[in-house]
Amino acid sequence: MEKLKENQAAYYPGCALLTIDRAYNNSSKLVSKKMGIELVELQGYNCCGIGEMKSKGAVSMYLPLRNMMLAKSQLGSKDLVMACSVCYHEFSRSITRVRENKNELVEVNAIFKEAGEIEGEFTPDGEARHILEFLYNEKGVDEVKKNTVKPLKGLKAAPYYGCLYSRPSMYTFTDKKPNLDNSERPRFMHDFLEAMGAEVVFYGNEVQCCGGRNVVQDEETSFALCSQTLSKAKKAGADFLVLICPKCAGALDVNQPKIAAKFGKDSELPVVYLTQLMALAFGFSKKEAEFGDMISDPLKALQEKGF
Amino acid sequence: MALEKQEKRPVAEKGEHIIARHLIEDDYIKEEKNLVIDGVDVSGRWNTFIRTRVDSEFDRSFFREVKETVAGSRINRCWQCGMCTASCTVTPLYRRFNPRAFIYMMQLGNLKELKKYVDVAWRCVGCYKCSQRCPKQVNPAEMMEALALLIKKYFPEEMESKLKVDEDVKKIYEDMILGHGRLDLAKLHTSSMQKMGRTKELIGKMERDAIFKMIKDGRAFSILKLGRPHNWGKSKRAIENYLKNANTLERSEA
Repeated sequence: MEKLKENQAAYYPGCALLTIDRAYNNSSKLVSKKMGIELVELQGYNCCGIGEMKSKGAVSMYLPLRNMMLAKSQLGSKDLVMACSVCYHEFSRSITRVRENKNELVEVNAIFKEAGEIEGEFTPDGEARHILEFLYNEKGVDEVKKNTVKPLKGLKAAPYYGCLYSRPSMYTFTDKKPNLDNSERPRFMHDFLEAMGAEVVFYGNEVQCCGGRNVVQDEETSFALCSQTLSKAKKAGADFLVLICPKCAGALDVNQPKIAAKFGKDSELPVVYLTQLMALAFGFSKKEAEFGDMISDPLKALQEKGF
Repeated sequence: MALEKQEKRPVAEKGEHIIARHLIEDDYIKEEKNLVIDGVDVSGRWNTFIRTRVDSEFDRSFFREVKETVAGSRINRCWQCGMCTASCTVTPLYRRFNPRAFIYMMQLGNLKELKKYVDVAWRCVGCYKCSQRCPKQVNPAEMMEALALLIKKYFPEEMESKLKVDEDVKKIYEDMILGHGRLDLAKLHTSSMQKMGRTKELIGKMERDAIFKMIKDGRAFSILKLGRPHNWGKSKRAIENYLKNANTLERSEA
């Protein structure tokens, strides 16, 4: 059994990050390594349930908690770092629920016992950690400032936190734990962007929903919500919309040609991940940060700004 | 001054001023053209009344059923303040989507009323604003999942006609997650488009551009490569057994 070293952390990539959102995965690893923490990928993980399994009772909690068990047996780590906000929500939901409800813990452990795959019972002593919160608390803004070799001068960025990074505080404990973000007015991404020398734009839709969950079955709603966010950010003068969730990218980036076709040019705005901008500021090339993967074409906008 | 203002106001439709007007049937609204109460002329805004009604068609067993599910376990805490509806992302887009009213109907077990909202009940985007702001931690976002379970159990025909798209897509997710343990995003996209009868769009220009881009930069290959996790078979069997042996609402449909 391979245990983690001092400067390593167990990392859960999830389904989207290893495939379509390669850009977020690669840049997260690059940035963390530069800041002094190596992310070690969990092997043999399964899907967290992405919010579609909540009507299945204890199964919705078994899915994320199996990964917590794997992290403990495989890497000897109680905590698990993840970059996807939906995964973060599912993990923190399950951990909080089994902590507060003894009978739900018993139900989940019954499934673990029946599967007989991982030894021992599940005990809710670890935490799920979002990469933004993780880097902010473990390394801090000063570390970002120190590592910035190419400041993002003159770049106007509109941070978009989305729903599940800070909400609901009954699961994520935002507002309740002093080291976590505010649930209605999150600020960690603002601080990071300012530390890299970018100009932060306030536009009012930072914690609005993009309708990402219904992007497959209810395009109408998702498109309407996305166009609101995109046009508001554009109106406030932003060059980029900065994301921390692959599901938001699925709605705001991948569908942007369709949204622009329906709601007009106001809804056209380059979309990037926070870690991609961080990689750029830390001196990595645009190719290494995989800006070319995004459909909303941030490469062109970066060129115009002289990067 | 005030009178002038009142005259300029457009003629209101019946009961327009009532919040959540759609929840009250026309027969229950009583409007008087010129109304004087205790010598005060109250015609205008204050002339609308809701006739007293008695809800007799409810069934508490229904409430217990919801309470036993994981998603709806906090239904007893709701005191109907309406914060969920006030902060809802979907309500401004679809006025008939009203989480407070849904929870009320579930508490009373008023199936007759609930049936009217089957066509909008699935539109929840799961943004958890309601759960964040709820003063009693009822968790309305998950209550909508419990609502879907109820609809599935009590109105299978309604569901077949109005909730079909959502259920079909949900089924694809479930089959994928329980069957392989991981999501296959390419297959998810193509099979849900097929279910919705939009196969033609799959060969449209936007789709082709995106697929070509992903083949060019190698991401298409990684989607095909992401296989099932080690030993998923054991978990799969355990989950299937769990769903088979349990007897609350969320398992009765499995």
